[in-house]
Amino acid sequence: MAMNQARRRFAAGSNSLFVSVIVVAVACVGYLLVDLHRVRIDLSADQGAALLPDTLTKLALLDRDATPVTVTAFSGQRGKQESYYKDRALRDLLDEVDFASQVVTVAFVDFDKERLTAEKLGVTDYSTVVVQRGAARVDIKDRELFKRVGKGEERHLEFLGEKALDRAFAQLTADNHRVVYTLVGHGELDPENHDLGGLSEAAAVLQQDDYKLERLDFVRQRDMPVPRVPDDAAALAILRPKVPIPSLEEDLILAYLSGGGALVIAVDPESPVPSILGRLGVVIPSGRVLDKILVFPYPDRPVPRYKSHPITRDLSDDSLVTVVSGVAPVQAAVPPLEGIRSTIVLETSRDGWIDRGGALKNGQGLYEPEIDGQGPATMAVALEVSRDSGLVRKGIGRVLVVGDSDVFTNGLLSEGPGNASFVLNSFRWLIGDEARISVIGGAKKARRLALTAEDGDQIRWLAIGLGPLLVLLLGVSVWASRRGR
Amino acid sequence: MNSVTTIWKKELRIYAVNPTAYAFLAVFLFLAGLFFYLGVTLTGEASLRVLSSNLAIAELFILPMLTMRHFAEERRQGTLEMLLTAPISPFSLVIGKWLASVTLCGLMFVGTGVLPIILAYYGDPDWGVVFSTYVGLLLVAGAFCAAGLFTSTLLDDQLAAGLLGILVLLPFWLISRAEALVGDDLALKLQPFGVLNHLEAFGRGIIDSADVYYFTAMTFTFLFLTYRSLESRRWR
Repeated sequence: MAMNQARRRFAAGSNSLFVSVIVVAVACVGYLLVDLHRVRIDLSADQGAALLPDTLTKLALLDRDATPVTVTAFSGQRGKQESYYKDRALRDLLDEVDFASQVVTVAFVDFDKERLTAEKLGVTDYSTVVVQRGAARVDIKDRELFKRVGKGEERHLEFLGEKALDRAFAQLTADNHRVVYTLVGHGELDPENHDLGGLSEAAAVLQQDDYKLERLDFVRQRDMPVPRVPDDAAALAILRPKVPIPSLEEDLILAYLSGGGALVIAVDPESPVPSILGRLGVVIPSGRVLDKILVFPYPDRPVPRYKSHPITRDLSDDSLVTVVSGVAPVQAAVPPLEGIRSTIVLETSRDGWIDRGGALKNGQGLYEPEIDGQGPATMAVALEVSRDSGLVRKGIGRVLVVGDSDVFTNGLLSEGPGNASFVLNSFRWLIGDEARISVIGGAKKARRLALTAEDGDQIRWLAIGLGPLLVLLLGVSVWASRRGR
Repeated sequence: MNSVTTIWKKELRIYAVNPTAYAFLAVFLFLAGLFFYLGVTLTGEASLRVLSSNLAIAELFILPMLTMRHFAEERRQGTLEMLLTAPISPFSLVIGKWLASVTLCGLMFVGTGVLPIILAYYGDPDWGVVFSTYVGLLLVAGAFCAAGLFTSTLLDDQLAAGLLGILVLLPFWLISRAEALVGDDLALKLQPFGVLNHLEAFGRGIIDSADVYYFTAMTFTFLFLTYRSLESRRWR
């Protein structure tokens, strides 16, 4: 009897143990499976906790290449104001990079404790990030990672680490240094101008992909016996010339295009139209583009609709608006010229039109069929010029014609949520770097508390004292009432 | 379902009239307030991140003590046999008691609601991150309560059950800090088992399916072990 009972116990016990082990094993295997197909929801404001699409695209390119990349971040100086935030921001970024990439190995190093690592890498400053890929190496300094912005009480720290890391990845993967030349000498927009009408911000955005924006002045080109677009040009930008470009210079530009060059031409309603556009079958009709759908409160800022094109694909997916201002209509020849394929990139809604003056209503233009052009009006076209056109002798020349130069300027680049991405993606497409086309984002703001000693005292009593005291009082009253029964 | 609700209500009533529950609640709120105060004054950040990781460690010590009485006390008083022979399945019993503990944890977190309000008064917190931090803490609480219930079924002595609960959970915390104890390679392999490693993303506003699964699986496993432990009384 006792034997049977012991046997039964053993059977039930071993069965129970077996099932329990199985359950634990299933839970572990389940974790491995879930870990392989992770889904993440970012609840932070502006989805700032996860990596930006642009970074993810670059990491995917690194993964595809499979060459190991090491990112070593060194801590900030202890005791210094904001060192905690700086370290944490860096750690968070590294965690996300580590999660998103198979080939990138990350390490966060305490600069004070692990001096040997710092010495080995030749790092002498706090908050430095070293990115290595094979023999290539890029160092990112504290000033590139963090920036103070705003004035007075609004002054705060911004973390630019992701942008800096993006840049480093681009530098490490770029085949050679790429230069985007912008034509000057005819009143064009200037890459060295930091004012609202300048291109300094565009230069910074292009630097993100390791493109360098430089001026090209055919008249003052003294280092070459015959003026021409330099050999290292990845693209040439002609942004709103104020006076006509001499035919000799246009020939130089055509010569560059004929070698499979990339060209972006931006004009405004009043600016002279380069005759090269006529050769490409593009016309800039008189008037300006208007639409009933406007960027409030500006009557001259129609909201562009993205057409199906690689430049606008991701912008369209993310519903990011590119802000344009005072736009000239752009019309590609219909049917297109032989050997030229044109695609509309930006267009107005069906309620848009080409305004040629006439009556105004509340300061806004009105569509008058007798004088205005019917919409939708095109604001930008992309052209692919093949050898059949007779304009290109090798490869395919790419041209982007935009009816607005402001879209590239400092003024609109930071104002429009999609402007920076539009500008960078335009150059990526022109250069044939389509794999990098994505959406780029801004800096991450540090959410900080400016506390006085008095505030600290108030917080201490509110946080530590109030809650526990109330609960204790409640507990005592419950205890007392039960004792009284 | 009805029996689960009945057990849940009964357990909540016991908590409501039990001064010990208030004492634990007060200790929990004191610690939460302390971590919050230290966090905001030392880091100057309008976030609950410092609070989150420290509070999870506090939960590790407090929750087994809160759940220790569930089965150990029933056993000591001899009411467990009655419960097990009543027309209530052991499953309902386990779920009901677990839900009651998690509800109490939820009330504890409601009590810490003053902390984000303080943040909003003095700064500009990211409400999405605040929400995800609480989601993470609640998932941790669910898993720790399940572990506490399990150890409560193993021993007759309440305090011993509570201490055993802490001992069971302690490795999950220590693994999160494994790099300080073992080599980097081993620490990397152990990383998926650490509680704090899985809580970290919640503090940044990210809800990761792997983290949610980890806590859910931990909860389910301990609840299953509790169920098996209770059921074993039938053949032991």
